[in-house]
Amino acid sequence: MTTAPQDWSERSRELSALLARAGLGDRAAFATLYERSSAHLLAVVLRINRDRAQAEDILQEVYVKVWGAAQSFDAAQSQPLTWLTSIARNRAIDSLRRQQTQPQLQTLHSTNDEDPDVYDSVADDAAGPLDLLSRASDARALSHCMQALSAPQRQSVALAFYDGLSHAEVADKLQQPLGTVKSWVRRALQSLKTCLESAVQRDSAAGN
Amino acid sequence: MDYSRPELADRLAAAYVLGTLRGPARRRFEALLPAHATLRGAVRDWQDRLMPLAAGLEPVAPSPQVWKRIEARIAPVTSSTRIPAAAAPAGRWWAQLAFWRGFSALASLAAVSLAVLLANPSPVLPPIIVVMNATAPAGTATGAVTPASFVVSLSGDRRTAVARPLVNVTLAPDRVLELWAAAGSNPPRSLGLISASGATVVGRTTLPPGTDHLAVSLEPPGGSPTGAPTGPVLYVGKLTS
Repeated sequence: MTTAPQDWSERSRELSALLARAGLGDRAAFATLYERSSAHLLAVVLRINRDRAQAEDILQEVYVKVWGAAQSFDAAQSQPLTWLTSIARNRAIDSLRRQQTQPQLQTLHSTNDEDPDVYDSVADDAAGPLDLLSRASDARALSHCMQALSAPQRQSVALAFYDGLSHAEVADKLQQPLGTVKSWVRRALQSLKTCLESAVQRDSAAGN
Repeated sequence: MDYSRPELADRLAAAYVLGTLRGPARRRFEALLPAHATLRGAVRDWQDRLMPLAAGLEPVAPSPQVWKRIEARIAPVTSSTRIPAAAAPAGRWWAQLAFWRGFSALASLAAVSLAVLLANPSPVLPPIIVVMNATAPAGTATGAVTPASFVVSLSGDRRTAVARPLVNVTLAPDRVLELWAAAGSNPPRSLGLISASGATVVGRTTLPPGTDHLAVSLEPPGGSPTGAPTGPVLYVGKLTS
């Protein structure tokens, strides 16, 4: 059993070769890279910026940037999918700050029977942040560590990560004071780090 | 604020990667990244930690126009190359005796071919290191050709080559570097595209018999469309073995 998110690494390996070739100016490799990663990146962007036309514009910017920066991608330091997802999330978050009005969030409905409290309310009729967490099962260590958080901590991190909400927006959504949300997020990140680091140590101790 | 303080760097990087660092603070943090290795390292660590969360998202196929627009944006712009054709020796460089003579003088000074012999005799050939020097003198107007060199190491069985610039080469975005092997006055054979800024492993190399020179040329993206170098030859190195 590995702590590394297996499918994530697996998909990353394929993409790594394509990215290396794209870095050398290989357009065909870049086209394949786009084919294999664009639907994932559009999903990431669409969660944060729900305007389809804007999301596709952002996606376009992301790949133009990737084409220009592919040469500087260092496979020894980052996984391609992590790198690509980071670029896409950054662009999507930047697009929010340029908007005068935030997209209207849809009304809440609870999808989690175990924890039918306010923190499990979700922002969309599609999969909610908590569903997505449980589905990210290939990111085993991460989802294990997310489960170890308190429900409000988990909900705050999920809303910030998936939907790109700021502290203030998370506070609004959960109807909690801003300071409380900030400290939930800060503590959640700290616990995640500690939990993931000890998972890595366990893993290497097990010789895996 | 002292951004090299690890705890602060870690806290800011976490908020940046999660996305809760917003507004001017986010822009300030981004502006700091290029100069702060601690911050960059912390950002990378947090990206590794958090990005797999995105694995659970249901993919959404973009409309076909998106790729068309990207393709148009990254299309090669032939007129914008920063290296004028004048930098190239005219004609078929590999057949020009004068070119090689001039090059030899340079090469004997700077090109070092190291045959690394193993202590115990072995049936395999020793690996070879070829230093390829810039064909244009330093300070030419191109700005893209540095006086530095490329180093190519060939494995003992001559089937794998690793090319690496000693100093990263700056290229126009629509130009790539291609590595060639030449035997005597025969047309060179392409060994593949190589990176201007790091090591490139050229696997399953088949050097033409009698290969005595390696060269790097500047080519349009995707490499030479003709099978022979079409752009200026930027680096040449002699194989002595």
